[in-house]
Amino acid sequence: MVFEFKLPDIGEGIAEGEIVKWLVKPGDAVREDQAVVEVMTDKATVEIPAPRAGRILELKAAEGATVPIGTVIFTLEEGAGAAAAPAAPAAPAAPKAETAKPAAPAAKAPAAPAAPARDAVITPSAPAATIKAAPVSASGKVLAVPSARAAARELGVDLQQVPGSGRHGLVRKQDVQAFAERGPSAPAAAPAASAPRSFAPVQIERTTSETRVAFRGVRKKIAEAMTRSKYTATHFTVVEEVDVTQLLALREKAKALGAEQGIKVTLTPFFMRAAASALQLYPQLNSMLDEAAQEIVTYGHVHLGIATDTPQGLIVPVVRDVPAKGLLQLSAELQDLAERTRGGKIKPEELKGSTFTITNAGAIGGILATPIINFPEVAIMGVHRVMERPAIVDGELVERKFMNFSLSVDHRLVDGADACRFLVHVKRLLEEPGLLAL
Amino acid sequence: MAGQAVLSVLREDGVVQGQEPEIAPDTLLHAYRTMVLTRHLDERAMRLQRAGRIGFTVPNKGVEAVQIGSAAALRASDWIFPSYRDFGMALYHGVPVEQMLHGMFCNGLDNSRGRQMPVHYSFADPIRFVSISSPIGTHIPQAVGAARAAQQRGEDTAFLTSFGDGGTSSLGFHSGLVFAGVWKSPVIFLCQNNGWAISCPADKQTGSDGFAVKGEGYGVPGVQVDGNDFLAMYSAVRTAVARARSGGGPTLIEAITMRMGGHSSSDDPTKYVPAAMLESWAKKDPIVRFEKYLRRRGLLDDAQAQAALSAAEAQVAAAVEAAEKAPLPATETIFSDVYAEVPPSLRKQGRDYFDLMSRHGEAAAGDGAFPL
Repeated sequence: MVFEFKLPDIGEGIAEGEIVKWLVKPGDAVREDQAVVEVMTDKATVEIPAPRAGRILELKAAEGATVPIGTVIFTLEEGAGAAAAPAAPAAPAAPKAETAKPAAPAAKAPAAPAAPARDAVITPSAPAATIKAAPVSASGKVLAVPSARAAARELGVDLQQVPGSGRHGLVRKQDVQAFAERGPSAPAAAPAASAPRSFAPVQIERTTSETRVAFRGVRKKIAEAMTRSKYTATHFTVVEEVDVTQLLALREKAKALGAEQGIKVTLTPFFMRAAASALQLYPQLNSMLDEAAQEIVTYGHVHLGIATDTPQGLIVPVVRDVPAKGLLQLSAELQDLAERTRGGKIKPEELKGSTFTITNAGAIGGILATPIINFPEVAIMGVHRVMERPAIVDGELVERKFMNFSLSVDHRLVDGADACRFLVHVKRLLEEPGLLAL
Repeated sequence: MAGQAVLSVLREDGVVQGQEPEIAPDTLLHAYRTMVLTRHLDERAMRLQRAGRIGFTVPNKGVEAVQIGSAAALRASDWIFPSYRDFGMALYHGVPVEQMLHGMFCNGLDNSRGRQMPVHYSFADPIRFVSISSPIGTHIPQAVGAARAAQQRGEDTAFLTSFGDGGTSSLGFHSGLVFAGVWKSPVIFLCQNNGWAISCPADKQTGSDGFAVKGEGYGVPGVQVDGNDFLAMYSAVRTAVARARSGGGPTLIEAITMRMGGHSSSDDPTKYVPAAMLESWAKKDPIVRFEKYLRRRGLLDDAQAQAALSAAEAQVAAAVEAAEKAPLPATETIFSDVYAEVPPSLRKQGRDYFDLMSRHGEAAAGDGAFPL
């Protein structure tokens, strides 16, 4: 076997060495450890020995040449006609006995070095899985920020009892205060809903026809948010069919009006008005669960998240105080938000604070969906493709335009009947769009 | 040192000129074999380093009598807070050569899991050999602290801490001697005056007449010893150990010797060590001198001397082979052996890291750009 000898870093971080003198020539047999070449570095001139026995095949650097560390400077044919390594003595005397200390003749046999893996506190065999399975508070100590610990001492609260609202259940000061206010008799919080799962990470075998990119950035954030929502909120989806014939006609008129003011009017502002109206009627859908405080929060304001498809993935800009805004204003704001979102110029605060979300994939296709709630909101409305269909109106078979609306709610806070009522109200407004003015 | 001669027992020709300590023949032979093994391991390690098989090593040639002579005066229950080159002390007490080679190759069988610099050993067994640390003198107060603990427990354990002539200029040396002097701690301060602190000669290290005299100011008796004389080293350390065990307090021993190699594998001593100095010290070689003594006493013949060398070669060759073949430390060991229980913050880091590793595989140059 041909062995390539790369010039090693013989001096803690040197970059190159000069070949001063070759001590062998091609064809020479060398023993292990036999000096082969003199090399000068910025630290020292040293003789470099052969790391193994063999016959020199080729010297790949000339005397006087300066070569970078890692360069192959010679090759040797291993074992070929090489002299036996001198280190292997004829009579290998029992080494243990030779070094045994007379005072304690039974020199301890080297404790068979445990496989490093075994000693490792974190076992390597199934690394991620093992760690995940371990409790977060490995030391048995509750994970809490120092101010929370101080507050707990002050208020006489047992930290073990306090549900944490921070990442990985980290207890924050406000958690302790909320707990203290509820009193010790308050039932312990439900187990952290986002308890890490204990599956081993999926490994996908590599193939010849695939591309791989790092799972990170926006994609990863979306994944985390979706996972949290899907495994926390108990999703219940209801679908309604809406006759949008009149709405589409109205929108054509609104479009013309908007164009005069330079505003592009889409259907979305109509859906927003309808949803805002329904949310005021059914405020349980305009709510969130404060898990830490164990309180249901219902908002007086309606801020709508508008799920937007961007080249970076799904982003949800927020339109505030929707009930106070007219269709044209909503259209203008939407247009601005959508452009800035797609252009990546949206400010972080414009992506926060929504109380309910609308997702509109109707322009692309699909007749219905089961949207995933924009957690910790409790409801999301999906808007789907316009379809021309025969319908029966006043006993007559006529051509009408329909859209399907889907509504997913967190069944922990919203009952199925209320979800249906919500959607029926939306249907009613959109089928008689004049009612949207109310 | 004014009025006190350098302690010496053997002349260069191996003839006893001073007071010969009583040592069992088996012990003498074990010491001799350990010196041979120490030197061979040292030479072999340098060749391994030059061939790029290990990253770093610390030459040891010339100081074998200091190490083995001192180690021979200790019990297995004693503690060693060693300096850079003291692996011979561990070999004397039965630490297996393989364990050292695993450390040199930084492999998965290394008891530091490849995280220490090569040759910076630590062993709990068969003698307490506390991790060699590169910083100068930091281990001196640690030895005094450990000795203080033993004192308070009423144990008769001795603590030997070893450092170079350069180490006496460190704060640790001062702190250690202050406390040991006041507490009368059972510590043997072994100053290996090997002539050089890297390239700084001993005469530029101190304005005092040698290093042993420094103990006086701390109330610690000092003694100068011929460091290339095994019997003198053994005598001096044995006396200091007996003093330590009986509550007499610490001793500062200055072993006068010469580092015949470089400071480390990264050093070129030919740039600063005068050739004449090396020549004169070569005549005082501690192994040659000790061998002459053993032959005079009829304890060693040619066959036995050859057997000792062959055994050393075989042992080291086998250990090199095993260590080179051993797998690298498992990545997961990064998180082990530091805390008895991995703290949550590290656990999280570990979790994130292994998660990343499972998705990305081995890192390549340029990986790790933020954000991950």
